[in-house]
Amino acid sequence: MRSPDHDALTRWLAAERDDRSDEAEAALLELFEALPALAPPAGFADRVMERAGLRNAVAVRQGLFAQPWTRLVLAGCLLAMALSVLWLPQTLLVLLGTWSFGGLVDAAVGLLAGAGVWLAAAVRFGDWLYSLGSALARPLATPQVAAVVGGCLLVSTLAFRFLRDLIQERSWTHVDPI
Amino acid sequence: MLGAIFSRRNDPRALTDPELVASARAGSADAFRELVRRFERPVYSLILRMVQDQATAEDLAQEVFVKAYRRLDTYDPSRKLSSWLFKIAHNTTIDHLRRGGLETVPLEAARDDENSAGLSAILPDEGVESPAAAAERRDLAKSLERAIGRLRPEYREAVLMFYLHGASYQEICEATGLPLGTVKTNLHRARKQLAQDMTAMGWGPEG
Repeated sequence: MRSPDHDALTRWLAAERDDRSDEAEAALLELFEALPALAPPAGFADRVMERAGLRNAVAVRQGLFAQPWTRLVLAGCLLAMALSVLWLPQTLLVLLGTWSFGGLVDAAVGLLAGAGVWLAAAVRFGDWLYSLGSALARPLATPQVAAVVGGCLLVSTLAFRFLRDLIQERSWTHVDPI
Repeated sequence: MLGAIFSRRNDPRALTDPELVASARAGSADAFRELVRRFERPVYSLILRMVQDQATAEDLAQEVFVKAYRRLDTYDPSRKLSSWLFKIAHNTTIDHLRRGGLETVPLEAARDDENSAGLSAILPDEGVESPAAAAERRDLAKSLERAIGRLRPEYREAVLMFYLHGASYQEICEATGLPLGTVKTNLHRARKQLAQDMTAMGWGPEG
């Protein structure tokens, strides 16, 4: 018994012999369906990712929760949360019992005073930064100095751009079109 | 509804080819991995049949995808992604074949190659046909692979793209950089050469 592919082969060869181009093409297309689309060896995509320098980022991101210690820490956290729920009502009752209105006012005043101290420190630091910035910016008001600084920035930007292109081009193979 | 949109946006498998490239360009490693998975078979299959060696084919196919990754910004979304990848595969393979002296499988070697671990060794068995038909199908596939392997590289590439991967004439032109007339001529001559080789291997009308 002949396979369907053999019939396609017979039709193709006969069409070629008689120069019936369209029929030959159709029969050969049918025949090519017998050829499988060969698959690369397993793990091909992983090896491509590794070669492209993308493997580590993916592995770290995907593997974070696959680590035994991460799972252990997560399990510990969940257990602590479950246990704390058991003790929570009693703890809250104890805390509410010790609190008074005077104590709450004291705590609020203390918090406000602390915040005021931090705010004053932040304002002083801001003032110092402003005076430093003004001192540094004073020479830039001169057109000559500003031009020199601008030129330096431009040169360094171009240098970094050139260096980046150079590094990228090193691993690129150019092939002339055929 | 929102869930469907959210999952579609996060699942690279649901993206179209241009969306996949855009996502990969934006830095999504998952999108690039999906791109590799989507096209690894046609690219590897084409290269393997061009170079006739599994290790070399895998190395070159990897190189194709790495080049594609580094040149994602040159991809024109108005064109088919497969054509762009085939173009990179073409350049990479031709470059390799040039370095190796454009080797093809000689007729004599192919006749003695029945038990070698070449392409025919990895062709699948067909379990749904009668044993005789399956055996004939395998023999036919092996002979066709050998005949393809003996074609000149430019003929072989055109044949594989057109008949195996369903690329249009225009796509072959884009991938190979050849004019339309040359592509058509290559395909015509390749078909004639294949028919001649298949007949010589005993697959003629009386075979």
